[in-house]
Amino acid sequence: MVTKSIRWRLQLWLAFLLVCILSGFGVTAYQLHRTNLLRQIDEDLQRRVTALTADVRGIPPHFGGGPKRPQFEPAPGGNPMNDGFGPPPKGPRFEGGRGGPGKRRFEPDGMEGRGFPDTGPERREILISAQTQRLFDDVETNGFYYAVWSRSGSLLKRSTNLPPEVFRPQRSDLAMTIETRTGLERREAYLFTEIGECALAGRSIAGDLAELRGFGWWLLAAGVAVLAVGLGGGWLATSRAIRPIEDIGAAASRISAGNLSERINVTDTDSELGRLAGVLNSTFARLDAAFAQQRQFTADASHELRTPLAVIISEAQSILARERSPAEYRETIETCLETAQQMRRLTESLLELARFDGGQEAIERVPCDLAERARASVELIRPLARRRHIGIECDLAPVETLGDPDRLGQVLTNLLSNAVAYNKDAGRIVVSTRVASGSAVLTVADTGPGIAAEDLPHVFKRFYRADKARARADGHAGLGLAICKAVIEAHGGVIEAASPPGGGAVFTVRLPLR
Amino acid sequence: MRILLVEDEPRLLRSLARALREEGYAVDTAADGEEGLYMAKNCDYNAVVLDVMLPRLDGWQVLEGLRQHKQTPVLMLTARDAPRDRVRGLDTGADDYLVKPFDLSELLARLRALIRRSAGQARPVLEVGEVLLDTRARLVSHKGKAVTLTPREYAILEYLALHRGEVVTRTELYEHLFDDSDDSLSNLLDVHVFSIRKKLGAELIATRRGVGYCVRA
Repeated sequence: MVTKSIRWRLQLWLAFLLVCILSGFGVTAYQLHRTNLLRQIDEDLQRRVTALTADVRGIPPHFGGGPKRPQFEPAPGGNPMNDGFGPPPKGPRFEGGRGGPGKRRFEPDGMEGRGFPDTGPERREILISAQTQRLFDDVETNGFYYAVWSRSGSLLKRSTNLPPEVFRPQRSDLAMTIETRTGLERREAYLFTEIGECALAGRSIAGDLAELRGFGWWLLAAGVAVLAVGLGGGWLATSRAIRPIEDIGAAASRISAGNLSERINVTDTDSELGRLAGVLNSTFARLDAAFAQQRQFTADASHELRTPLAVIISEAQSILARERSPAEYRETIETCLETAQQMRRLTESLLELARFDGGQEAIERVPCDLAERARASVELIRPLARRRHIGIECDLAPVETLGDPDRLGQVLTNLLSNAVAYNKDAGRIVVSTRVASGSAVLTVADTGPGIAAEDLPHVFKRFYRADKARARADGHAGLGLAICKAVIEAHGGVIEAASPPGGGAVFTVRLPLR
Repeated sequence: MRILLVEDEPRLLRSLARALREEGYAVDTAADGEEGLYMAKNCDYNAVVLDVMLPRLDGWQVLEGLRQHKQTPVLMLTARDAPRDRVRGLDTGADDYLVKPFDLSELLARLRALIRRSAGQARPVLEVGEVLLDTRARLVSHKGKAVTLTPREYAILEYLALHRGEVVTRTELYEHLFDDSDDSLSNLLDVHVFSIRKKLGAELIATRRGVGYCVRA
């Protein structure tokens, strides 16, 4: 459920990315800080080791050449190293003979034969200059301590605050470089002199580590805060982004529940979802209009069917109310039959229109001559016209079109019978076919009263009757022209009605040429 | 009772007019709204049967036009059966509403009820002294015995009974009981009244000379 929700999936992704970025950033910052801190400590330690080594050697430190002597400054006023004891460069004073060669086992191999092959004094007095001493001052500095071991490993000199657990480091190679090591909450730097003595400066880094831990905690807290803010913001942003979708969904479900007049409330028309909502709204509007049209059509159809039913029922009930003469029965049955025939015509027309609406009406497409179809229809209608002394004039040029000959004939007959029905007595009907502007054109013009301007746009609408009373009396439901329109449009053509000022109505059909 | 029938389907108009006349009503007909409204405004009908879908003026417009002048009971006939349409019909001032296709007997019953209600008589049986008129079956009895009246005689008696205690003028009777299709011979009121008196007793209908007739309350 949660993993299906877009909001939650976005949220999880956001959380994942934020955690990655924040932890990467935090770890880097922590490491950087730690490295800087250690480097600072190391620099301090190296300076002290260098100074210490110089004292151990009894020569100025540049002689031995520690690799790094940052911030080392000789004390002003000559060489302080020589002040107290002034040891000869190559003759450090030795003191004590403890250890002896037996302790040589601590030496790395190859120590002999280098500069000092002799058995160096195991114990000697090492003088620490005041300046160096100051570097290890407990109060001024930060708990620095030092120790000097002889070649054999005995402790030659140590500061008072040397932690008891500090031991002499192992000499790892012969290079005269300052090395560092980290013990339990201690950081130490050491340097082996040429003769194998080891000077070590160290410092407790408990405070630094505590500060580092604090920094770590601070980073963690900041990270969590940023994560919370990010997730909260993300939640708000996704909620805002998703709200239109929810609106759309709600509107769509209301519409599917049957309320087609519902619309999505579009507040932001510029966003993608706003445009989508606009598109959906116009779709809904078209659907609504289509449904309304369908409803109207159904209501009209039911109305048109109910009235003849009412005739049949009331005729039958009234005739059955008492004994009647045969003539009365006959008249009633004739009325019922006539009405039933009207209903049959109506239902046929309705079914035909429904088939056109559903796209099920198959339109044959064979070459046919419109003029020939017109001639046939005119012959069909002529007796009807003659009864009212209406003359039919033909101006038929051969026009080849593709279509269903029966359907086109139906349209022609329909138009012609309208032209007769709405004509004046002894009027005229003009039927013409021709090719004009790339179309097959057929016109049927009559000399009747024409079509009122307000009726013209509606004459092809279903159940629309310009002259309602008269059409009803003729038994026309007002579907003939609607069917003509459906047939012509199924052929890819257009049908238009016009009523020129001179009177009469003109129907024009345009079909594609073959 | 005189009824106006407004309906544009000619066969239905013919059929209903015949059925109503056979029931003893005087029936005038109109085939469109304009004519219907004109007739309804200019004549006192006991009821109007009005189709909704009419040429020129539709049933609603006719009803609105009529209600500005008269309170004639109107029964609407329509092919639309949505509740919305019925509500609209009743709200516009129609007194009853019937959906096509309808039962002829229901139309007649509703018309009777309409006419009774408009005369202030809700009960279907009218009682005048020892004479009982059952308006449903159009039967008359005198002292418990059935009496046969012609439709015209029944119509006159029913009209007078519905307006009992009032003096009904001869003109009023003519207007309400005879339509334009009646021939003049059958219109001789006095002949009908004489016949009624012979069947139900002379004291039932009093003649106010120079004014009209009256059934005592």
